Amino acid sequence: MASPFPQILLDGFFTGGTYALMAAGMALILGVVKVINLSHGAFLTLGAYVAYALADRGVATPLAAAPLAAVIAFAFGVFLGKSFVNPARSHPFALPVGTLACALLFEQAAQMVWGPHPLSIDAGDPWIGPGGLVVRRWGVVAFLSSAVLLWGLKRVLSSRPGLPLRLIAEDEEIAGSLGMDVEAIRYLTFGGACAMAAAAGALLAPSGAVTPTMGRAPLLLSLVVVIVAGMDSVGAIFLISIGLGIFGSACAWLLSPQWSYVAMLAAVCLLLSARPAGIVALAGRRD
Amino acid sequence: MTVRPGKTLRLPLLLIGSAILFLQYFSPVYPAATAFAASHPDALKIGVLAPLSGPYAAGGTSFVQAATLAVEQANAEGGVFGQRVTIVVGDTQGRVDVAKAEALRLVSREKVTALVGAYLSEETVGIMEVAAAQRKVLVVPVAATAEITDMVRREYARYRYVFRVGYSLPQWADMIAAFLSDRKVRRYAFVGAGIRWNRELGEMIERIVAPRRIAPAYTAYYSPGNPAFDTVAVAASAASPDIVIIADPGRNSVSFLKRLREAAPAIPALSVGGALGDARLAASLPLSTPVYVQAAAWRGVSPAATAYVERYERRYGAPPVGYSDTLPYDAVTVLVAAWRKAGSAATEAVVPVLERGAFAGVAGTYRFDAAHQAHWGTAPGALRGTIVRLERGGARIVFPPR
Repeated sequence: MASPFPQILLDGFFTGGTYALMAAGMALILGVVKVINLSHGAFLTLGAYVAYALADRGVATPLAAAPLAAVIAFAFGVFLGKSFVNPARSHPFALPVGTLACALLFEQAAQMVWGPHPLSIDAGDPWIGPGGLVVRRWGVVAFLSSAVLLWGLKRVLSSRPGLPLRLIAEDEEIAGSLGMDVEAIRYLTFGGACAMAAAAGALLAPSGAVTPTMGRAPLLLSLVVVIVAGMDSVGAIFLISIGLGIFGSACAWLLSPQWSYVAMLAAVCLLLSARPAGIVALAGRRD
Repeated sequence: MTVRPGKTLRLPLLLIGSAILFLQYFSPVYPAATAFAASHPDALKIGVLAPLSGPYAAGGTSFVQAATLAVEQANAEGGVFGQRVTIVVGDTQGRVDVAKAEALRLVSREKVTALVGAYLSEETVGIMEVAAAQRKVLVVPVAATAEITDMVRREYARYRYVFRVGYSLPQWADMIAAFLSDRKVRRYAFVGAGIRWNRELGEMIERIVAPRRIAPAYTAYYSPGNPAFDTVAVAASAASPDIVIIADPGRNSVSFLKRLREAAPAIPALSVGGALGDARLAASLPLSTPVYVQAAAWRGVSPAATAYVERYERRYGAPPVGYSDTLPYDAVTVLVAAWRKAGSAATEAVVPVLERGAFAGVAGTYRFDAAHQAHWGTAPGALRGTIVRLERGGARIVFPPR
């Protein structure tokens, strides 16, 4: 029998795609709004429930749910950004606590509306690749979506329309003195990042169970990715995500499934102790 | 730009306040039950301990819903000695320290007459100490570790208040072994969340099936926080087992089954622990290869089971999963029946009645052995449980053969 290791590496590759999908929005918020948004996972959950609600009404493809989820999350995100994030931004501890409270409120609300039981959307059959490799349909979708999303983000940031975002990320005071509406750009960015998380949730919904707390684990991992990569390098975020996915799968195979998470976080701690600003910054590619 | 926090924060504060009030008054099940207890100070109170938050919230909610249903049924039958019965719920969060604190709160502040719970084995061993110290009857519905009844056997005087209606791990392993033999399984894979009862169940099954010439081909436990499903599913399929036993009482069992189907579409799966017993899931899971679910009872097993399922569906709009709801329902039913038989809810009067009596429940008739363990398993007269095969639109009973 052929070794399952190539399959495990391939699965890790796609798992990394899901990390990247979440990390894209997280990086945007950290880079531009400069807050740790602990409600980011709740927006992923929102997207998954939108996909489930549509599937329950006969619209079985999450590709249709993603835009709807993004619009809903954008509206929520803008509201949250305008009414809470912007005013509370100057208090360093208020935002993580406040966004965490929002996430918990959303989880409780989701539990009341849809119940605590795991829900599920038909994932469809996987594709069989060369050599009998199983190619997970929603793994491919996550990978391609994250690649497109991060590529788009990179393009926007390097183009003229992305100039205000770059400027605000660099120095808000200068951006404000140039007549930019910093507050509006911040909450619109926040809303956009929330929309990205919700779209990710809708796309990933068929791959697992839809539950009120499904956003917690991806939240932590995406935060890890952004911190390790350094939040201003889109390409590094993508590569680190994929690397972590493969590393986690390989550890699960070579060590034990229970140790893969520990190994991943240990590797991250080692990296950060050597490179506190993120590996891209230390590699000298920041500027 | 100047921001005036007082003005801008007014709206979110108003919204958060409204949300808290909304959650306070419209949260499912337990606050309503608590409010009922407060408004009926003379009611007989049962303290129910289950995780309503955290990774096992789904099972915990079913647990409380079923306990509520059992109490409603008892009250519809006239209550106990003319008194209404009610439940007061403690959220254990799946944590031992919280479970113990909540058990103590229910006994000392809420003045409950008896306890039903908890969900995880770790939590239950913790609250046994509270029940022993406070001399309160504790009926254990779900937690399966052998330690619970071993403690009763070893230190009877201290733990004689503890009775388990659910199956112990050796009994559970015995029932699973009988099913594996019936399906002519020779090699199985055992995977699940890395929690205590899973590990003990895995070891127990291995010991019990060995004389039947059945052996594990692969065993793995994943972290509930980061389950590493892909690798476990690929490794399990690479071991070419005849069946994969998924031991996970939480949401991860759904995700794992999906991964397993992608990696090994032709290997049957048996879910133990209840999470896949929600018949609504059957519509979205790949079922071309059998997916079996082990339950304490199922619609069609007996008239009592069918009546229970129909009541549950009417009350909650969804069918029970047959494990984390059925056993708590029976735990409350057995406790209420014991109160009635004893003619008193006093602990010292109820314990001998529970020790000697027979009590009808959804899963059958409960009798307790010297270690206060209900008789489950394959022995004559024991409660057998059931295994169903999920099908589009429902499930079909496949074991025990009828």
